[in-house]
Amino acid sequence: MNSPHEINVIKMKDVSKVYDNGAVALDNINISIKRGEFVFIVGTSGAGKSSFIKLLLREITPTAGTVTINGYNIKNMDNHDIPYLRRSLGVIFQDYRLLPNKTVYENVAFAMRVIESPRRLILRSVNSVLDVVGLREKYKCFPNQLSGGEQQRVAIARAIVNNPAIVIADEPTGNLDPETSWEIMDIFQRINAAGTTIVMATHDKTIVDTMQKRVIAIENGHIVRDESIGGYGYEI
Amino acid sequence: MKFRTSEYFIKEVAISLKRNNWMSLASIGTVTISLFILGLFIIIVANLNRMASSLESQVQISVYLQDNITKQQRTTIEEDLKKLSGVEAVKYVSKDEAIKRFKSRLGDQEYLLTALDNTNPLPDAFEVTVSNPNIVKTASKTIEKFKGVDSAVYAQDVVEHLFELTKLVRYIGLAIIIFLAGATIFIISNTIRLTVFARRKEIAIMKYVGATDWFIRWPFLLEGIVLGFIGGALSAIFLRFAYTTLTAKIYDMMAFFPLIPIHPFLTYISIIIICSGIFIGALGSTISIKRFLEV
Ligand SMILES: Nc1ncnc2c1ncn2[C@@H]1O[C@H](COP(=O)(O)OP(=O)(O)OP(=O)(O)O)[C@@H](O)[C@H]1O
Ligand SMILES: [Mg+2]
Repeated sequence: MNSPHEINVIKMKDVSKVYDNGAVALDNINISIKRGEFVFIVGTSGAGKSSFIKLLLREITPTAGTVTINGYNIKNMDNHDIPYLRRSLGVIFQDYRLLPNKTVYENVAFAMRVIESPRRLILRSVNSVLDVVGLREKYKCFPNQLSGGEQQRVAIARAIVNNPAIVIADEPTGNLDPETSWEIMDIFQRINAAGTTIVMATHDKTIVDTMQKRVIAIENGHIVRDESIGGYGYEI
Repeated sequence: MKFRTSEYFIKEVAISLKRNNWMSLASIGTVTISLFILGLFIIIVANLNRMASSLESQVQISVYLQDNITKQQRTTIEEDLKKLSGVEAVKYVSKDEAIKRFKSRLGDQEYLLTALDNTNPLPDAFEVTVSNPNIVKTASKTIEKFKGVDSAVYAQDVVEHLFELTKLVRYIGLAIIIFLAGATIFIISNTIRLTVFARRKEIAIMKYVGATDWFIRWPFLLEGIVLGFIGGALSAIFLRFAYTTLTAKIYDMMAFFPLIPIHPFLTYISIIIICSGIFIGALGSTISIKRFLEV
């Protein structure tokens, strides 16, 4: 696991990803992300943002180079360690991915139950994260009774309920209107303020420009820009 | 495994058995039929084996005499028999005594003899007992050459035919059982595949939040095992019913027939059948888990 002295929680060294069909998604990527950072990954469609995210989750492995995250080496790690890597990450997608036949409470609790957390802890943690995302009152609702923004907040609650060191989000505001997107960003900002590292891939120029956080821009699989306080950088 | 976790698994299995009710029923049905047939073959083969070994251990030779021999000739034969090496006892059974014995063995069915119109087709005979089963065959060969002896009959003669029959039953049984086991495993693995498909979203989320592979696999494995167990238990019940009814019928007609007694034989059969059910269920779901779960 991570040593307390290690401040880089994510490190990519000479990383390339070439898919089986020959598509080059990432080419010679070198970055490091420190504990507690808030990082936007930006780029046009097909630039390689999702591939970047998938490497961190070990949904895919690098074709070349090394990816280290929370002390795990993505390429060489033992298969038995994958669940434990993922427990140290919280993940959020554009399409929420909630279970339709479970209530808000059950959806969030699910993430704790399947890693066999004690029941008492589940009750306490779920209530507390539902407070963080402002959905305590709606705990009994099913996903189809919620707006898109509310569903995404449930997904965020689920992502953070196991206290991950890093939250990874792939276009979390992609399906939401600007106003709702800001509610989501507000929650992210609070999570980040509490010490959690956040890596978020996005298309959303306004959000990136307004937040004034670190921006890593990817074009055709290359990093074209990495600014510690930046904006989206160009029009789309 | 924690209590809370097993509770979760049991719930998941109950949900999918209900969701796939037709497939679940079909699976249980095929398991039941296959294992019933398996059990039937085991019962038949076990009984044939028992018959064979009970016959094989017999050290008696029935020496049937020709019809028209004199008392003098009979005495000579008796003396010659007693002189043979390995012969321990020689007992004369007259044709009258033979028919009396036969009547008592028939018991209730004595009326069958009325067809004979009180004639006695049985010959005079000697019952020869030898010292061990291995010499029965050679002794019989020698005895058959005696003058005035019609034939020497011993149980082992039947045994050889019985062994051939047992072998045949075994091969046919094995072929049918392999075929049925294949079909059963196929149906169970398809049922489990339906469950995997119905729960694919949950599985994906479980992986993202860090559930271990075994945690994800268990409910599927358990579902297969439950299907196999129910099927096995049902066919054990049917087999018990079938064997008790059958033995009762057979004893009714032929009281001397050497069937294997119900206790504890049927208990062993039930254990074998239920374990096979569990094994088949586990195998079927393992195949599905390997092919469709990708964990
Ligand atoms: N599973 C895959 N197999 C083959 N090629 C793939 C696969 N996934 C992505 N690619 C290719 O890799 C490149 C990068 O894709 P990626 O999904 O990382 O882009 P992205 O920046 O997330 O795009 P978007 O903004 O549209 O989500 C694209 O050219 C894409 O076609
Ligand atoms: Mg993408």
